[in-house]
Amino acid sequence: MTTHAMKLVTIVCEAYAKAAVTKLLRDVGAHGYTLFTVEGEGSRGRRDADIPEFTNIQIEVIVPLEVAKVMLTRLEHEFFPCYGMIAFTADVQVLRANKF
Amino acid sequence: MEILDAIRANLLSPAVLFFALGLIAALVKSDLKFPEPLYVGLTIYLLIAIGFKGGVAVSQAGLAEVWLPALAAMALGALIPLWTYPLLRYGGKLSAVDSAAIAAHYGSVSAVTFIAATNYLKAINQPFESYSTAFLAVMESPAILIGVILGKLATKQAGEGSVASLKQAMHEAIFGRSIFLLVGALVVGALCGDAGMKKVEPFFVTPFQGVLALFLLEMGIVAGRRLGDLRKVGPFLLAFGIIVPLINGTLGVYLGKLTGLELGGATLLGVLSASASYIAAPAAIRISLPDANPTLYLTSSLAITFPFNITLGIPIYLELARKLYSSP
Repeated sequence: MTTHAMKLVTIVCEAYAKAAVTKLLRDVGAHGYTLFTVEGEGSRGRRDADIPEFTNIQIEVIVPLEVAKVMLTRLEHEFFPCYGMIAFTADVQVLRANKF
Repeated sequence: MEILDAIRANLLSPAVLFFALGLIAALVKSDLKFPEPLYVGLTIYLLIAIGFKGGVAVSQAGLAEVWLPALAAMALGALIPLWTYPLLRYGGKLSAVDSAAIAAHYGSVSAVTFIAATNYLKAINQPFESYSTAFLAVMESPAILIGVILGKLATKQAGEGSVASLKQAMHEAIFGRSIFLLVGALVVGALCGDAGMKKVEPFFVTPFQGVLALFLLEMGIVAGRRLGDLRKVGPFLLAFGIIVPLINGTLGVYLGKLTGLELGGATLLGVLSASASYIAAPAAIRISLPDANPTLYLTSSLAITFPFNITLGIPIYLELARKLYSSP
């Protein structure tokens, strides 16, 4: 079994940003992502997730380090100023590096 | 004192009482919560039921009768942002992009408010044109587009990015799930006509009031959760959220009479003009004018105007229509 070092980028944001964020993921070269609905509270208030428009979404995407850097830089400049959003990375090991 | 009677009749209906119950549940921080799929399911039911019924009514009345008031409704929806924008910008001293965003919400419409109004008219045996649902369908999008354009012009955002986000907002405003379902059900209803209605009546008509009561309970909770934000929006928007619907409602009732609607239909056009969107408009505005502050537009439309219309506004617009139709 051979594993490869990759970056897991986790983005938690308001549901309204979904289309824009998933477009960004494609643009910077991510091959796929996992998305789920979450609720929570932060500096922009509480999102109770009672109706689809008022939910937060969590997007998890695994990409090579260079792609993660570009993604986070664009998130910081283009998204953080206008959307309720956080993003963070973690080191992960994956099988089949070409899938990411 | 007719107006007080009209208001009492509205406040004591199951739908409005359940709405109040929802508000209370949110205020006392009850853990009462609808699962999100139930909310989605109820909206789908209500939109299809009202769209289908409206479509059948269009097929019975014929397009010749419907097109003029529908066109007037559409024009009114598009024009409302043009007068509310300067009011917000210069009267309320709000930023250009916030003014445009709020103006879009008030030109667009709330389907739930419309449905509650038809329910009220039915409960007090006031006849109305069932094809009024067509006005709901045509009034949702134009104001959103006008609002987005106003916002883009005011903030001098031009170029490719702005065209792309305008396109996205248009897509949201025209093919968003609520407008898509409503227009789709209208077309299906118009094609099926009365024969089709008989087949689906036990499902879409008989349980309708109960479903609406359930849905308004949920909307009470959703609106109630926003009441805390009232402190953040300031006195101008508080007043705006009540006075502007009254003015727009009056315009709608007048326009209804001018275009040949009966008293009930004119009331509904008043309700539509007075209502503010809190689903379709925020979704489109958040994408196309992300710099606008959502607390301002969502709180005013969802926590001020929506509860006002559901409780007091609807009977007030009916009384306005009664006054107008009884004068020579």
